[in-house]
Amino acid sequence: MSKADAFAEAGKTAVLQNIQGTIEFLQKHPPFDQMQQGHLLRLVENCQLRFYAQGESILHPDEGPVQHFHIVKQGRVQGKRSHPGGRQDTTFEISTGECFPIAALLGERATRTAHVAGTDCFCLLLPREIFVELFSLSAPFRDFALRGVSSLLDKVKQRVQLHAVESLGEDYSLDTRLDELAHRDPVACSPDMPLRDAVRLMHEQNVGSIIAVDDQHSPVGIFTLRDLRRVIAAASASLEHPLRDMMTPNPFHLPPSATAFDAAMAMTERHIAHVCVVENDRLVGVLSERDLFSLQRIDLVHLARTLRHADSVQALADLREEVGRLVERMLAHGASSTQITQLITLLNDHTVCRVIELTLAEMGDPGVPFSWLCFGSEGRREQTLHTDQDNGILFEARDAAEAALLRGKLLPVAQRINQHLATCGFTLCKGNIMAGNPELCLSRSEWSRRFQSFVREATPENLLSSTIYFDLRVLWGPTDGCQALQKELLALIASNSTFQRLMAENALRHRPPVGRFRDFLVVRKGADKDTLDVKVQGLTPFVDGARLLALANGIDATSTLERLHLLVLKGVIDEKDGAAYEEAYHFIQQVRLQLHQKQSRAGLPYSNRLDPETLNHLDRRILRESFRQAQRLQSSLALRYQL
Amino acid sequence: MNSLATWFSRRSTASLTDSQRQRLDRLRDPAPLAEQPLLKQRFVVVDVETTGLNVSRDQVLSIGAVVIDQGGIPLGQQFERTLMREYRTPGPSVLIHGIAPSEIAAGDDPTEVLLDFMEFVGDSPLLAFHARFDQQMLTRAMKESLGYKFRHPFLDLAEMAPMLCPQMSKPQAGLDDWLELFGLQVQQRHNACADALVSAELALVLFNRAVRQQIENVGRLAERMRSWQRRQNAHSF
Repeated sequence: MSKADAFAEAGKTAVLQNIQGTIEFLQKHPPFDQMQQGHLLRLVENCQLRFYAQGESILHPDEGPVQHFHIVKQGRVQGKRSHPGGRQDTTFEISTGECFPIAALLGERATRTAHVAGTDCFCLLLPREIFVELFSLSAPFRDFALRGVSSLLDKVKQRVQLHAVESLGEDYSLDTRLDELAHRDPVACSPDMPLRDAVRLMHEQNVGSIIAVDDQHSPVGIFTLRDLRRVIAAASASLEHPLRDMMTPNPFHLPPSATAFDAAMAMTERHIAHVCVVENDRLVGVLSERDLFSLQRIDLVHLARTLRHADSVQALADLREEVGRLVERMLAHGASSTQITQLITLLNDHTVCRVIELTLAEMGDPGVPFSWLCFGSEGRREQTLHTDQDNGILFEARDAAEAALLRGKLLPVAQRINQHLATCGFTLCKGNIMAGNPELCLSRSEWSRRFQSFVREATPENLLSSTIYFDLRVLWGPTDGCQALQKELLALIASNSTFQRLMAENALRHRPPVGRFRDFLVVRKGADKDTLDVKVQGLTPFVDGARLLALANGIDATSTLERLHLLVLKGVIDEKDGAAYEEAYHFIQQVRLQLHQKQSRAGLPYSNRLDPETLNHLDRRILRESFRQAQRLQSSLALRYQL
Repeated sequence: MNSLATWFSRRSTASLTDSQRQRLDRLRDPAPLAEQPLLKQRFVVVDVETTGLNVSRDQVLSIGAVVIDQGGIPLGQQFERTLMREYRTPGPSVLIHGIAPSEIAAGDDPTEVLLDFMEFVGDSPLLAFHARFDQQMLTRAMKESLGYKFRHPFLDLAEMAPMLCPQMSKPQAGLDDWLELFGLQVQQRHNACADALVSAELALVLFNRAVRQQIENVGRLAERMRSWQRRQNAHSF
């Protein structure tokens, strides 16, 4: 080795000291942990380390196209969005090892969010040219950058789905659009075609249904093989009659943008086997139950139907295990938490209805029309596998005496229903919020008085009750009584600002577990050491906040997401905020479902206590952001109600 | 001692090769500290590891340096070299700098290292923590090996820090105290290059404070440090 070479060599190893240290730092974080050493060296050698004091601007929308890729080496960076009033709002936080702003760099544009140092911080800055070079050289880096463009939650979804693809070897999901799924050229004919010809057409085309369309190709009816059985069974029927006389008119339809999940839900709810796909009033496709199953392998419709026709409570109880398995498969298919909670609620609704029908058959009809109410998470359609009973009965009575009489007839039935539900896996409510409790088997005017007392006499118990009872809906029986009750309730709350304020205070009770310095605030000792409560600390702030704002603004929807959606439409909350809350709520719920699924697989009892360290890096980061959104919702309530 | 040093100096200069002599002639004089804004100026942050703490007897074993330019630290521009020394018995300082005798034996010719270093420095002012020590060690090494008068100005971070951050309660705070205050992490303390990097990080924090205290150019900073130093001395009397 010549002397010059030796110097070059020595110089190189010397340089490597600090560079190597920086590479080792990067290797603790994605995507750098996946990148080749050579690419990392290229990256670090071209980086510049800069310091930003707390509050200092790092990137600003006014600065023109972004020139550097930033990696946080130390400290925290915040994304700030300005509001018209000059108020600024933190929309996200970026901490050590994380990068920004990827979308702006790839789009060769200015950032849309101001990036400000949240604490004193050091960032590594890589010039745009080198970013572009590495983007083309390194697959993990490119992959990361491209995924970084979509939202964080998309990333999770992609990963979950990727996992599903790996385990099932299939590349579809419940989010597949109907225009990709449905038969493009559905078999259709005029409603005037004789039945014989229509059936021949079905036979020739080997399909189970034919759609009757008018001159504009708009569907007017559907005829299926099931209908054909019915026709043949009826002695009077003739194959010469026009289809019009035999078809089911006004078939159910969805737009092409609807998803496989929507179709499965519709089939389950409506007990139908075919969904027409209609665009601009024209029939463009038809989707059968069979298409969905062969594709999804999720026997949702079948399970719902079996529940609905189960012949004994024990049979229902046996089917509950199927529900658990179904949820597992859906999670594996990348179903969102909302889809899953909706589905669990739907299947639970079927179970409860069937239990009521079976009980009435068993004990005889008490002869009193009643509505079966559900409260709390069941009322909000946000049930998980971990389900308590929260129910009641509403009936109509002329006066107190009649109410007492009818209650006496209904209570034994209600109590039996509660027991049967317990057999089916709906845990008896510890607080005795059950229809079999005489205080919850009430006439409409009794309910009305009860609700009024909650609003007028704001004791802590009443306040707590309102968080349960005011999320109510009818699960079985007539719905008009409950609707009238809800209308009354909304008027009552809208005019009572004291009650709203107390509800707001109540909504601030559970603080999201994010720390100023640490990622998460967890329990320090005891049986729950290192854990936080995903439900109480993560979801409850959203549920409480959405309930308060909905009730105060005359919105009668009960599901948290629907409430948020309607609050945005009404202009009560900002559209972007609404979307962020929704995403955060989704994600926390998803984490909770996965936790329950894991517990169930390990044979452990369901619990909402999560050790954040058991999550991967990305999930931890998103969870922290989601909790931060809960904090934002709470601070907006504090501002609104001046707490 | 003086005559010995002169003899060394003469001997070393005499022993320079032609190309080394040419390089020596081309070295740049220090630029005056002036109106240049603090966040535009190029600085060289240096840390030396030595055989001991005696500035007139101990020797430089390694030099680590990083650059601050345009308000940032370009990680691609770094200097770290070990100097070959005839150094027989490892003294207690080996425990601090952790440079094994074998590494020193494998080090580079001090003449070459120092020339390389001066080319790396160019006309930039230097920064160091307890700068006087690094300055004196380097000045003597330059004189002995190159016969070169090292006149580049040094700014001492150990003085700049308490001047700009009077809230630091600890008197005579050391580098580790400042690192702790600002939450700075050093990869390998008492490694010249790692120490230089973390000192540079400290300098970035301090420059940020200086600008916020309306000290926006290098000349003004040096001036403020001199008067602060005078006040400190006055207090101590």
